[in-house]
Amino acid sequence: MNNDVESLLREGMERFTSDLRAPAGLVRHATQRRRRRLALRSVAGSAAVLGAGAVALVAVVVPGVAENPAVASASVVKRIDKALSAAEPGEIARVTVTTRAATGPGAAIKTTTAEEWSYGDQWRSVSYSSAGHLVYDEGSSTSSVYTLVSYPTRTWARQRDLGRPAGLAQPNKPVVGGNPVRNRTVHPGGRILGPHGCEPTGGAVRLLLQPGLPGIGFSASAPPTTAAKALRTAISCGTFAVAGRDRVDGNEAIELTSRPGGLFTETIWVRPVTDLPIRVVVHSAPGQPAFRMTADISWLAPTSQNLAKLTVPIPAGFRRVPLAEVIGLTVLHLQGPLPRPICLPADAGTTCQD
Amino acid sequence: MAADRSAAELEHFLAERADHLLRTAVLLTGSREAGEDLLQMAVERLLRRWRRFDGDPEGYLRRTLYNLATDGYRRAGRWRQKERLLRTGLQPTQDATGDVDLRDALVRLLLQLPVRQRAVLVLRYWEQLTDAETAAVLGCAEGTVKSAGSRGLARMRELADDWSDTAAMCGQWGNRS
Repeated sequence: MNNDVESLLREGMERFTSDLRAPAGLVRHATQRRRRRLALRSVAGSAAVLGAGAVALVAVVVPGVAENPAVASASVVKRIDKALSAAEPGEIARVTVTTRAATGPGAAIKTTTAEEWSYGDQWRSVSYSSAGHLVYDEGSSTSSVYTLVSYPTRTWARQRDLGRPAGLAQPNKPVVGGNPVRNRTVHPGGRILGPHGCEPTGGAVRLLLQPGLPGIGFSASAPPTTAAKALRTAISCGTFAVAGRDRVDGNEAIELTSRPGGLFTETIWVRPVTDLPIRVVVHSAPGQPAFRMTADISWLAPTSQNLAKLTVPIPAGFRRVPLAEVIGLTVLHLQGPLPRPICLPADAGTTCQD
Repeated sequence: MAADRSAAELEHFLAERADHLLRTAVLLTGSREAGEDLLQMAVERLLRRWRRFDGDPEGYLRRTLYNLATDGYRRAGRWRQKERLLRTGLQPTQDATGDVDLRDALVRLLLQLPVRQRAVLVLRYWEQLTDAETAAVLGCAEGTVKSAGSRGLARMRELADDWSDTAAMCGQWGNRS
């Protein structure tokens, strides 16, 4: 039995760690962290040498080098941007999205979850109801074949070249001035539509959006872009500032928050080791419809096991029907769990509800 | 006198060995994130002395991983955490899947052992070092390694025995129906 336990333990350890790949840039990160530490030590050392007689000088030098929030934020944002740029082609982003939102004025708050994977042109999203039941599973393969499986109706459909929503795949262009929420429609489930730009709430939110069923008014089904690309856009728009250090699931993380004053507040937590975001939280400002979305992000190596997650499985016994029929049946079955978009100020004339 | 070593050499070394070291780090810490943090810290330490480093980088990194893991856990007070057996909710089966489940259960139990016991088991059964080599890595006496290892394995055996008993019981119930 001894040998059995020992060999089973070894096999278990082998299995537990089989798909692990070390993050890229270990040496680069170590070098950067060392430089930062040395710079801080140098500043602290200088301050000590200057002593009491040079208090005024210290007061100028220390904050200027080490504590200037703008400098710190710019440096962190630059590193995150670089890390996301490397992760975009190289790693599978897995995002678990939990959304708490009221389906209308005075309505009860519902919690829904979705699991999403994105890797290059491939993506998949599995949505669950507030009761935790699988509602639908959809995704797009490398050859742009879109598959949708509806669990309540036990049907599925497959269609080629549905396309991406116009503009969503384009990189954001900074918007200078103007009303940040003008012409913008926010779906209570989290989808934000509107002109592309670097408005507050415009970047990271789009990452978190569930692709949604095609044809129900707000999208041809496709995620806005890969998670890495969406986050990169949000980060590089310059709306985030370093708020401090925090712990996420017991691990050290850098916290960045969006500029205050918008209809939503976004917070992103980034792992200092990899400079990759691991959690994004978006919540509505006081006075706005209750809404909170939490996205937990993992960055996975493209092993065969992880790549398999990008494929939408067709359960045995499900009936193949035209795509429009799956969508129609699912929406009917759900009786409105995908609520109509709600209006934000300056949305007059759009299809959202008041 | 060692010659100066370049960062490229370190990168080359890590390209080959970082995956294995990460796996060790994950086994020591229990999660990918914490394992990556641990490995990053170890690489930073190696980098500090890399230019004049004259030795086995893998051995150095491995020792650093174990030292950082035990230190970190001591500082965080996690070593005081009460050990919890993971029997609850684990349902053994009689077929090959049962073996797989038991392997997973053993690893989950491993991750809940005190860090010193866990480090010994990882070094002994993952790195396949001898007691003497394990003691050298951990910087402790061979006797300490033996006692920590035997305590850790005893917990594993308890779980495995319990598993076999329950599997047999489930089999009897299954045969009746």
